[in-house]
Amino acid sequence: MAKPKIAIFDFACCEGCQLQIVNLEEEILSLLGVADVVEWREAMSEKSDEYDIAIIEGSITRMEDEERIKRIRGCAKVLIALGACAATGGVNKLKNNFEDFEEVKKCVYGKAAGKPHLRTGVTKAVGEVVQVDYCVPGCPIDAKEFTYIVRSLLLGKTPEIPEYPVCVECKANGNPCLWQYDQVCLGPIIRAGCGARCPSSGFRCFGCRGYVDKPNVEAARDVINRYGLSVDDLKTKMVLFGSRQEPTIYE
Amino acid sequence: MTVKKLTKSDFASLVEDLIRTENVIGVQAKGDRFDFAPLASAADLRLDYDVTLQPPKKYFLPPAEVLLTFEVGGPYQSQLDGQKFILLGVHPYDMIAINQMDELFRQDNCDTHYLTRRNHATIVACDVVRPSGHVFASSMGTAVVKQGYDVLLTDVGDSYVVEAATPKGEQLLARAQNAVPAEPQALKRREDVWARNKKALNHYELKCDPAYLPKVLAKSYKHPVWEEKAKTCFSCGSCNQVCPTCYCFNVQDDVNWDLTTGQRIREWDGCLLDGFTKVAPAHEFRKARADRFRHRLYRKATYVPQKIGGQIACVGCGRCVGACLPDIANPVSIYNRLIDDLGIG
Amino acid sequence: MCECCAQKKDIYLPQLATVADISQMNVTEKYLRLAMDDGPFDYIPGQFVEVSIAGIGEAPITISSSPTQGDSFELVIRKIGRVSGAIHNLQRGDKVGIRGPLGQGIYPVEESRGKNLVFICGGIGMVPQRSFIKYVLDNRGDYGDVAILQGTKSYDLRLFTAEIEAWGKRGDVQMIETLDEGDARWKGPVGVVTKLVSKVETDLKSALILVCGPPIMYKFVLMALAEHDVPHQNIFLNLERKMKCGVGKCGHCQINHAYVCMSGPVFRYSDLASLPEAI
Repeated sequence: MAKPKIAIFDFACCEGCQLQIVNLEEEILSLLGVADVVEWREAMSEKSDEYDIAIIEGSITRMEDEERIKRIRGCAKVLIALGACAATGGVNKLKNNFEDFEEVKKCVYGKAAGKPHLRTGVTKAVGEVVQVDYCVPGCPIDAKEFTYIVRSLLLGKTPEIPEYPVCVECKANGNPCLWQYDQVCLGPIIRAGCGARCPSSGFRCFGCRGYVDKPNVEAARDVINRYGLSVDDLKTKMVLFGSRQEPTIYE
Repeated sequence: MTVKKLTKSDFASLVEDLIRTENVIGVQAKGDRFDFAPLASAADLRLDYDVTLQPPKKYFLPPAEVLLTFEVGGPYQSQLDGQKFILLGVHPYDMIAINQMDELFRQDNCDTHYLTRRNHATIVACDVVRPSGHVFASSMGTAVVKQGYDVLLTDVGDSYVVEAATPKGEQLLARAQNAVPAEPQALKRREDVWARNKKALNHYELKCDPAYLPKVLAKSYKHPVWEEKAKTCFSCGSCNQVCPTCYCFNVQDDVNWDLTTGQRIREWDGCLLDGFTKVAPAHEFRKARADRFRHRLYRKATYVPQKIGGQIACVGCGRCVGACLPDIANPVSIYNRLIDDLGIG
Repeated sequence: MCECCAQKKDIYLPQLATVADISQMNVTEKYLRLAMDDGPFDYIPGQFVEVSIAGIGEAPITISSSPTQGDSFELVIRKIGRVSGAIHNLQRGDKVGIRGPLGQGIYPVEESRGKNLVFICGGIGMVPQRSFIKYVLDNRGDYGDVAILQGTKSYDLRLFTAEIEAWGKRGDVQMIETLDEGDARWKGPVGVVTKLVSKVETDLKSALILVCGPPIMYKFVLMALAEHDVPHQNIFLNLERKMKCGVGKCGHCQINHAYVCMSGPVFRYSDLASLPEAI
C-alpha cells in the first residue's frame, strides 16, 4: 500500500502549532516512515496538489483565503483543523468583537495599517468555510494528542477526543482547584485533552481548546455569584479564546 | 501481631533506611496541601497532614495504565506491574477504601492488574493527627481502621506506637532500631487517640447510622434534591476523580508509529461525565445530569454496598466536597436532607 | 495471593480467533463466523463476546449462532463505531481477539422446555435472538408452540432472509415478518412489530415472551403484552448497554445496581422492578 500523502498549510496564525510538530523531532522521522509529507512551507520547499490528508493551521480572514481553503478541501480526502485558530477561530476572533476593522488595524499596525497585504475581514474558523473532518484543538496543540490523532487516521480509526472538561485531567493530576487560589479558571467548561497543562503549572485554564459540548451555563452563573464576581469579570477571562463562539455564558 | 514503640527520631531513621533500599512513597507537602509522592528523604514525610489531594488509589489503579500490548495479527500480552513499594502514611478512611477496592477487584472476576500492584505493596497506615476541613469519617465509622494495613502508626506525642499486622509488616518493623515493646501507658494513649478520632473527624455530621443509608435511599429515588443539585453540576467529574472508592474506567487502544504494534490503555472514567453510557450517538442511557448525579450517591450508599457486604462506599474523606466548584457534592448534606424530609432522623 | 494472580490469569486478555467466513448481509450488517485458535468454547444463548481489533479497540457483540451449530460461532455486526467499522474491513483468515463468552445469557433455556415461546424482534434484535431461536428449532421436540415476530425498518435492511423463509415453511413455527415502511417488493404486513402481537396464535398468557430490539421498542412491546395480561415473570428483555470491560468492573453498563455484563444482558421483566433505569 502506498504511503498516504500529507500536506500542511498555514493561514492567519502565529505558526506555533506547526512549531509543535517541528519540535516532535524524532517522532517526525517515525511519521515520515508511514506517511509522505508533500507540502509544508515551514519545513520544506516542495509544493504539491496531491494529498490525502490536509492539515490546516490558522483561521480564515480574507476572501482570497476562503478561495484557497476551498481549493485545498477539493484536493484533500481528509481535512484536519490544527490548533485553536483553525478549529475555533481562536485569538484571531478577538477582532470580531469590533465593528470598525480600519480602527482595529490602526490600533495594531499603526502607520502601516493601510498597506494592501494587511487587508482583513471577519475571522472564521476553518469549519465555517469548508467541512472539517477532525479538529486538533488548543493553543498551541498538544503534541501528544496530535500524534495520536495522526496515527489513528493512518490506521483508519476515528480518534477519541474527550467530551469531558479539563477538570477531569486536572484532578487526576492531583491539583487543587485554582478557584480556591483566586483564579478564574475556565476548566469546568473547556474540553480536556491537553492533560490540564496550564492548571498543573499553576495557571488558570484560558479556554484555548474551546467549550465542551454541553457546558452548564447555570452552574457558571452560580459559581461567579458565589465568588462575588460579575458577568463582566468572567467575560474578560473568556474573551481571549471564547470570542464570538457559542455558547457564551453572558448572553 | 507485634506492637512496639518508636521515638520519632528513630522512626525517621527507619524511613531513611527504607528509602535506601526500597521504593518508598509517602505523604508530602504540595504547595499548601498534601499528596502522596515518591519519598526522597524522611524530612519530607508529613504524617501530620490533614488529607491528601489524591487518595492512594492511584498506586493500585493508576490514572492511566497499559493493560496489554499487541501486534496486529499476533497474540495479546498482559502487562502486569510487579514492582514492590511501600506506601507511607495512609489514613484510616483511605485504608478502608483500599480494603473495599480490594474486594471489588477480587470478586467475580479477579483483576490481576490491580491485585498485582496491591500484592506488591506494603502499606503503613497512620492515625489522623490533624482533621481536614471537610472530613466526616467519624460519621461514616471510618475514623479508625482495624485491618488491611501491614503496619499501623499512631502518634502518641514524642513517639509512635507501631503495630505490625502482617508478615510484611513484621519484616518492616524488624528494621526499626531501638524499637521497644509498647508499654501499657503508650497503648492507653493510642486508645485515647482512637477514642478522640472516632468523634473528632466530623466536620459534617450524618444524621443517621451509615448502615441505615440504603433504607433512606430506597425511599428517595424521585426526591427533588437530585434535580436541584444537578442544576449547577458542571458534569466535570471532579468528585469521581478525587474519590478513593470510585473505580470506573475506560479502555482505549493506541498504536506505535509502525502502526502494527501498540497498547491497550485503561484510564479513569467518571459516571458524572457526559457520554459515560453512550453506546451510539442515538443511544445514551443516563443522559440527564440529575440522573448521573443521583447515580453517584446511590453507588456509594446502595449499589456498591450490595457487593461488599453492606459497607457504605463513602469513607468520609471529604475530598469531593473540597473538589466540587459549585459545592453540590457533599454527600452528608444530601443524605441529611433526605433524612430530614423522610422524617426519620 | 489469590490463585488468579499466582497464575497471572488476566480477565482483560483476549484470545485469538480466526475469521472463518465473512460476508455482507445488507447495507449495514456484516456476517462473521469465527473459530477460536485454541479450540472452541461452550456458550449459552444470550451470551456475548468482547471482540478486539488490535489498535482500534474492543466491542461487545452478542453471539448470534446456537451452541448446537458446532465449533465455530457467528456474529452479525452493524457498522456504527470504530470497532464495528474495522470488523467490516476484515477478510477471511484475519485474526481477531476474543474474550468470552461473557454474561449470564439467561434466555430461559431450561425453564422454557415444554413451554410455548414467542420471540419478538425489532430490527437487529433478531441477531441475539437467533441464537436461542436456532437452539429451540434444533431441539424442536422439547418445546410447545413457537412464534417468531420480526419487524424491520425497510426492505433492504432485512436480515437472515433465507433462514426466516425456511422457518416460515417448517410448519411447526408461526413466523410473521413486518416492515415499518411499505415497499413494492414486499408482499407481507406493513407496520411496527408490536402490531403483530395480537396475531400470535398461541396463548400469550402462558407463553414465555423473548424480546430484543432498539431501546425505544420495549415500552411499546410491554404495553402490547400488558393488553394480553402476560405475567411479568414470563417476559425476557435483552437490555444491551455499553459493556466496556464485560467483567463487572468498569461501570459503563450499569443499570442502577445491576451490571448488565454480569447479570444480563437478558433480564426477566419482573426483575426490572428494582431497576428503574432499565426501560
